[in-house]
Amino acid sequence: MLSWYEIAHGLIGGIFVGAAYALLSAGFSLTWGVTRVINLAHAAFALLGSYITLTLLEMAGIDPLVSIVFIVPLLFLLGLGLHYFLIKPTAKRTRDITGASMVLCFGLYIIIENLLVIMFKSDDRVLHSRYSDISLAIGPISVALTSIISLAIAAVSLVIIYFFLNRTYTGKAVRAVWQDREGAMLSGINVEGVTAITYGLSLATAGVAGLCLVLMYSVTPFIGFSWLVFVFLVAIMGGLGSILGVTVGGLIVGLIVSLGSVFIPLAYINLVLFVLLIIVLLIKPSGLFRR
Amino acid sequence: MKRTAFYRSRWLVLTFSIICIMSILLAGCAQQAATKPAETPKTPIKIGGTLPLTGIYADTGKEVYGGYQHWLEVVNASGGMLGRKVELTIYDDASDVKNAVTLLEKLITVDKVDLLAGGYPGTCASAQMSVAEQYKKVYVSMGGHMTSFTKGYTYSFGAPPLMGEWWFEGIYRWLGTVPQAERPKSVAIFTMNNPIGAALLADAVERFKSLGIEVVINEKYDLPLASADSIVAKAKAANAEVFVSGGLLPDGVLTVKACKTQGYNPKLYLHGIGSITRGWVAQLGSDGNYICSGNSMSYRLPYPGVDELNKWYAANNPPASNAPDYFLFGYCWMQVLQKGVEGSQSLDDTKIRDWLKSHEISVIGGKWTFDSRGLPPTIDFATQIIDGKVELIWPPDVRTHAPVYPKPAWGK
Repeated sequence: MLSWYEIAHGLIGGIFVGAAYALLSAGFSLTWGVTRVINLAHAAFALLGSYITLTLLEMAGIDPLVSIVFIVPLLFLLGLGLHYFLIKPTAKRTRDITGASMVLCFGLYIIIENLLVIMFKSDDRVLHSRYSDISLAIGPISVALTSIISLAIAAVSLVIIYFFLNRTYTGKAVRAVWQDREGAMLSGINVEGVTAITYGLSLATAGVAGLCLVLMYSVTPFIGFSWLVFVFLVAIMGGLGSILGVTVGGLIVGLIVSLGSVFIPLAYINLVLFVLLIIVLLIKPSGLFRR
Repeated sequence: MKRTAFYRSRWLVLTFSIICIMSILLAGCAQQAATKPAETPKTPIKIGGTLPLTGIYADTGKEVYGGYQHWLEVVNASGGMLGRKVELTIYDDASDVKNAVTLLEKLITVDKVDLLAGGYPGTCASAQMSVAEQYKKVYVSMGGHMTSFTKGYTYSFGAPPLMGEWWFEGIYRWLGTVPQAERPKSVAIFTMNNPIGAALLADAVERFKSLGIEVVINEKYDLPLASADSIVAKAKAANAEVFVSGGLLPDGVLTVKACKTQGYNPKLYLHGIGSITRGWVAQLGSDGNYICSGNSMSYRLPYPGVDELNKWYAANNPPASNAPDYFLFGYCWMQVLQKGVEGSQSLDDTKIRDWLKSHEISVIGGKWTFDSRGLPPTIDFATQIIDGKVELIWPPDVRTHAPVYPKPAWGK
């Protein structure tokens, strides 16, 4: 007999997980949509965000919330570097940037993973902040403060990206390039600059998502690939380049893995997830929110 | 006439002398020929194996390697084996099963090592057991749970094995000693959906039932576990007095955090592999306390040699205060191989195998005889984290701390 207690925890847990994965998928979806590059190293950059958070806290006592100030500019610069030094030169030499970028980014993923192992060893790491042990009671439901903070960071970040893409000139230019690259060029948009900004934005959001995830999970240098599976699911389900799409896609995935386990055996959760993905691809191949 | 006699006698003396000298020389040569094999060629005994020195299992792989190297130092310092020095060649398989198999075959066929060293982790060891059997080489390792020891291999030994099927054996046996009135009434079982998880809780339902403990939940989850909130909510809603999470460290951390957040404090909390790793205590702090698990090796074992290894390790690896489990596993596997070589007085793998299967041996992991599968009797060490230390709570003869039951509240 199901209880409201189980359902409420499943629901809340699903929202927490979904929000973090939505933010992680946002940047991945943008670069895929705008530049047709499937950045398989995306989760590794998120992991960089996690380890920056851990290192700043452990070495300098810097609060995880404050570490955003370091993560965003650093990852943004890395994004610019990724574009100018790797993706752009590769794009010039190939007709199939999607295929070539997958191989390139996979190599980059392995390099980052190995660097993380060298720097931090392969042990699991758990973030211990001053609010790690605090939980808040909402009626009979108890929720970890770290999960609430993670949700808040993810939600605010998604809103910022949404407004950036829809309310600013640069954001609109990003969308224009994504929708019609040649048309954007003819309209006088600096496609080169817009593409570089897209990479910067993509990796900066990945870094912040890494912070959200390390607030909830232990991390190892090898966890990135597991995150990448969810990123694909959310981005494809939501629709490439759509912030609203990845938000809804993230929540659907989060609710299936958490709330779904209240109603169906845990062993069937992944089955349900991928069946749903196939259904979405059959009915609406461009994703739920891509017009 | 006299001259002739003189010459004759001189020739006789000369001939006699030559015969004597030749006899002595021949006797010497014969003696030398007879004793030559006993003196042995002074070439070292070559032992070879693979370990994950890079990649996902590198941290523990290096600990096993440390155990191998220290054993090598100890054995060579005491004159080697069979009067010969010992050389060890360990290739890095980069945590990859294919590499582990290929490199082991290279060691056997190209490097022509005399003996094999066991691999790690279970996936590599399991694959290498097949190679060892094919080339009829003794292979001492942790194996790959019970399935790897039921394939009819005769040259492989789990000494000790890391056996999922035995993992909670000590817990079951200890629970059997808890008076019925104090025994928990119900259990919620959540296992990772993979071969290790299956091995960990292979007969859990039957064992709990035989103890009079009702199984209220029995589910498997896929790794990585995205959220433990609903798992814990299910267990709490079912009022499960025992919570079993047959998983690794990341999912263990999630479930512990969710239990603490939801205020769910079962009387007994069992966790799989993750809770005996160094990371558990380091990463969970006091939240990791009172979680029970199993093992087949521990630095707390009261057997000869363990204290010396702890002291050596602490002195050479500050700030460590004791030898890690995987260092001891590595040392023990080599110790078993050494017992086989010295017991059989041979480098012939079949003789070593037969000797090991027909004699009792005493090593740092215990006193064992091996069955036809190459396994010692069931190892039933039960552990509990108490004050940040992995204590042995079962069996009584190795106990370092009485079980803390029921589990105190979180944070106590």
